[in-house]
Amino acid sequence: MARRKSSIHGREGIAGWVFTAPMIIVLGLFLFVPVLMAFWVSLTNWAGNGNPFGGGETAKFVGASNYTDLFLKDGLTRSTFMQSIGNTFYYVLLVVPLQTLTSLFLALVVNNKLLRGKSFFRTAFYFPSVTSSIAISTVFLFLFSNSGAVNGFLKLFGITGPQWFADSRGLLHLILGLFGADNPSWAQGQIFGRTLWDWLAGPSVAMCVIIILAIWTTTGTFMLMFLAALQDLPVEVDEAAALDGVSAWQKFRLVTVPMLRPAIFLVVTLGLIGTWQVFDQIYVMGKGAPDNTTLTPAFLSYSQSFTSLKYGSGAAMAFVVFLIIVLLTWFQRRIMREDKKPGWWRRRSTLVGAASSGAAAAATPADSTSAAGAHR
Amino acid sequence: MTTITKQNTTPAVHEADLRRVRNSGIKKVLGYAVLLIFAVIYLYPFAIQIATSFKDDPQAAAHPLSIIPNPFDLSAWKRMFGLTSDSSVPIMTWLGNSVLVTVIVTAARVFFDSLAGYALSRLHFRGRGFLFAAVLAVMSVPGVALLVPKFLIVTYLGIYDTYAAMIFPLLIDAAGVFIMKQFFDSVSVSIEEAARMDGAGVFRTFWSVVLPMARPALITLTILAFQGSWNEFSHFLVVTQSANHKTLITGLAGLTSGSLGAGTQFPLKMGAALLTTIPVAILFFTFQRYFVRGANEGGEKG
Amino acid sequence: MSSTRTRRTRAVAMAAITGALALSACSSGGGFNTPAATQAPAGGPVALKMLIASSGDAETNALKAATAAWGKKTGNSVEVTAADNMDQQLGQAFAGGAPPDVFYGADTRIGDFAKAGNLYAYGDQVANEKFLPSLVQTFTYNGKLQCAPKDYSTLALEINTDLWTKAGLTDADIPKDWAALETVATKLTQGTVTGLVIGNDINRGGAFMKQAGGWVISADGKTMTADTPQNLAGLQEIKKMMDAGALKFNTDTTPAAGWGGEAFGKGIAAMTIEGNWIKGGMQKDYPNLKYKVVELPTGPAGKGTLSFSNCWAIAAKSQHQAASVDLVKFLTSTDQQLAFTKAFGPMPSTEDGIAKFKTDYPADAPFAAGGDYGQGAVNAPGMDPVMKAFNSKMATLSKGGDPKAMLADLQKNGTAALAG
Repeated sequence: MARRKSSIHGREGIAGWVFTAPMIIVLGLFLFVPVLMAFWVSLTNWAGNGNPFGGGETAKFVGASNYTDLFLKDGLTRSTFMQSIGNTFYYVLLVVPLQTLTSLFLALVVNNKLLRGKSFFRTAFYFPSVTSSIAISTVFLFLFSNSGAVNGFLKLFGITGPQWFADSRGLLHLILGLFGADNPSWAQGQIFGRTLWDWLAGPSVAMCVIIILAIWTTTGTFMLMFLAALQDLPVEVDEAAALDGVSAWQKFRLVTVPMLRPAIFLVVTLGLIGTWQVFDQIYVMGKGAPDNTTLTPAFLSYSQSFTSLKYGSGAAMAFVVFLIIVLLTWFQRRIMREDKKPGWWRRRSTLVGAASSGAAAAATPADSTSAAGAHR
Repeated sequence: MTTITKQNTTPAVHEADLRRVRNSGIKKVLGYAVLLIFAVIYLYPFAIQIATSFKDDPQAAAHPLSIIPNPFDLSAWKRMFGLTSDSSVPIMTWLGNSVLVTVIVTAARVFFDSLAGYALSRLHFRGRGFLFAAVLAVMSVPGVALLVPKFLIVTYLGIYDTYAAMIFPLLIDAAGVFIMKQFFDSVSVSIEEAARMDGAGVFRTFWSVVLPMARPALITLTILAFQGSWNEFSHFLVVTQSANHKTLITGLAGLTSGSLGAGTQFPLKMGAALLTTIPVAILFFTFQRYFVRGANEGGEKG
Repeated sequence: MSSTRTRRTRAVAMAAITGALALSACSSGGGFNTPAATQAPAGGPVALKMLIASSGDAETNALKAATAAWGKKTGNSVEVTAADNMDQQLGQAFAGGAPPDVFYGADTRIGDFAKAGNLYAYGDQVANEKFLPSLVQTFTYNGKLQCAPKDYSTLALEINTDLWTKAGLTDADIPKDWAALETVATKLTQGTVTGLVIGNDINRGGAFMKQAGGWVISADGKTMTADTPQNLAGLQEIKKMMDAGALKFNTDTTPAAGWGGEAFGKGIAAMTIEGNWIKGGMQKDYPNLKYKVVELPTGPAGKGTLSFSNCWAIAAKSQHQAASVDLVKFLTSTDQQLAFTKAFGPMPSTEDGIAKFKTDYPADAPFAAGGDYGQGAVNAPGMDPVMKAFNSKMATLSKGGDPKAMLADLQKNGTAALAG
């Protein structure tokens, strides 16, 4: 169909480059080049003084030592970094399933044909997703403060709420404590500079607030994705299932879930990517306090650079996070590729589109990724 | 039960209908209950936020759950709008910066994103496939890995702590380009081909034929760009330093995380947070259906 | 064929333009190459930028007034900015090549900043101002006084006199040692009131370590001395009182307080341990509170308190270093320092100043007394993250944290940091 008039195509050739030139310049200059620069800095000991690209004493080339220090060298940098990884691991482990289930549940309820006022509820659930993460975090700081609304609510039932933001005890530790385990001898082995017992802490009480915050702000977006998928479900299947007299639960398990598979995969992928990038909330809600239990690698990378003046180390951390996210996405894609159900390929464009807009919907800036949005 | 139903058709159907009606009644009640509970969970915090901004400090601590300020206290708002002697919360400067940056970034994104999206979708030129792959790759770069890089580049360019540093890197977003490309992929080429046959140039066709047709997508893009730049935080955090480049969001983050001098001063913080929420809220409630479309852009088109 | 080639040429050209754009702006290393100290030509009014870590409006306004006075005298102008996150703002400013000309140099960061070459060490130009020797030592790195000490504060015990009398206590009960402190704190703990509320880090708890005869680092700042029995005894004393309910960290009160002074002012703490800055805070937020200040009780090893200080640091990259030094001389003059004392409470950093302070503010004698034996902050380079890590651990004392393990960690991390 193309190549009808070469003159038109000649013009299109110029136009194509001219039209995309602003994009090439902005993304190239503020995304591609800086990433290369940061990679260089991650190989130096630059402390924020002088030119990082000039070599010399202020920016000595140190090879991969900023990277190896994160994993191999015993010290504060490694133990803090590993703690941030551990924190995030539990964060991901709780947030991703909970936000997926909650948003699916909300989508199913909102999608119920019997109920009215759908758009009101849809709006209500989606609204937290569009407001600024900083503003929401500020509100949560108040809600969960010692004399805040949540503890006030618990008091109605005679429960004394915890001091959310000051409580560094891990949930798993608390549970294990019920069984009498308190730093037992079997958990003293060191892994990357932290004892097994430390790794087993689970999210701290303070981290739970951030987990709740994340679920609360992201479910709206994901609910909309599920809703769109639900509305795409062919009506015939629904009717056939009704005629066969299967129960609602069976229908959900045998018909709805399999049909929603692509959407579920999408939401989980976006969740996995987004949860590794928490930054804003940490900045506002205590910068890692209490006891670094809310520290995330993203925030640590920032403070290591700008506060501790170890830019090389901070940049190295950022690249490790980058790598983790790339691996997770790659892993997800592998799983999806294996999922060779015929229906899936037809829906691929839908998926990619939704992925992009998931990002966009959650207000990502030019440079951030598809998924980050929901969490940032 | 089921076996009986199948055997005696007529009365059982009647019974089943009744049961269905009763069931659906229960279901309805249950459904509404669930929806209401969740609606409270999702909206009550905002109500508390609004109410708290009109309380004084002790009241905020004593009655955190109440959404009726009593007494009604305006001191947080007065302080924000400079009606007191204290100048530590220069809201008007922040507001001005927020508006400036948001307006420029939104306009630029809408124009440049659709320009690039159009080229990637319609124009035939060498390197198009590569460029599109690059856009996809860029979309997958996590934002948090860019904090140090961004700082390096703006310093390298000598624009650290300037409006240029705040605005230029945000002028185009890969996700927006992607959305526009998807959109143009989905609409028919016939009209613009007619225009091109009539001898209109590429840009002219784009400007006066294609863009007007793309109105719904442009509105979606506008909303996303507005919301994105208005709520932006980490970018401004790393590329600026001085107080007169603060936006509402970075200013609020400073209030909340830094020491506001002494005291928790929640009413003030809630008020400032509310102020950052209002524009997005107005936009949201006005253009709701486009927001929904935004969240599902590809989903509905695919 | 030819069109293919031209297209390819164009593609290459585009790429080249992009690259050139990226490089042209910065062929010389761009913003990073701001020379260390290109001084603006002398003469003509200069505009200085000052970044302060303010304790509140009183301090900010006092500085604005003082710098305006200097500006009027010299024809220059000074823009005073209160940071909301001093460390990060300074870090970005140094690396961004646009640091403020004059800023508060925290005692804990002087080593870091000096080592990274961020400071203009002008100590020799202010040598004859007779700063207190202990403060001069605090701000000396590599044998050079980096900056002029701004002022200082020490910790003392503040007592809410209303709650004190209500609990049936008299002046004779003012605690002189740990045992007495435990007794009065227990008596004062009633209903919503906690006897003693303190901040949850070394900046308050460290006083107990000092009173027990310990400290985290040797006097010459070269060796860690964290895992000693003395330090442990200090932390255990805190824990003991905490377990008895007579002591709480500010983060553990209901409602949580931003600092000890807030809990004190709101009347949920009968006593707190804070420095001179509490005066300004109470005057502003809780003007009706009646309280008195006494020296901290002694521990097993005698008296012990902590001393905090900032200096007037001048950036190595400042283009107005001469004017900045002149400003600092103005700000550290005895009269000006006493004006600051009046406005927000810190003690003057000079011998003359402190002598005047003692006569002018007899009620603040306990703070001044602390100057004689106060322990300065840990200021060795690289120690800041170590102390932060310890502080975050210390906050867990109220949640079952193990003091011995904390100190062991501190010893280990500190030793590693000191080694470079």
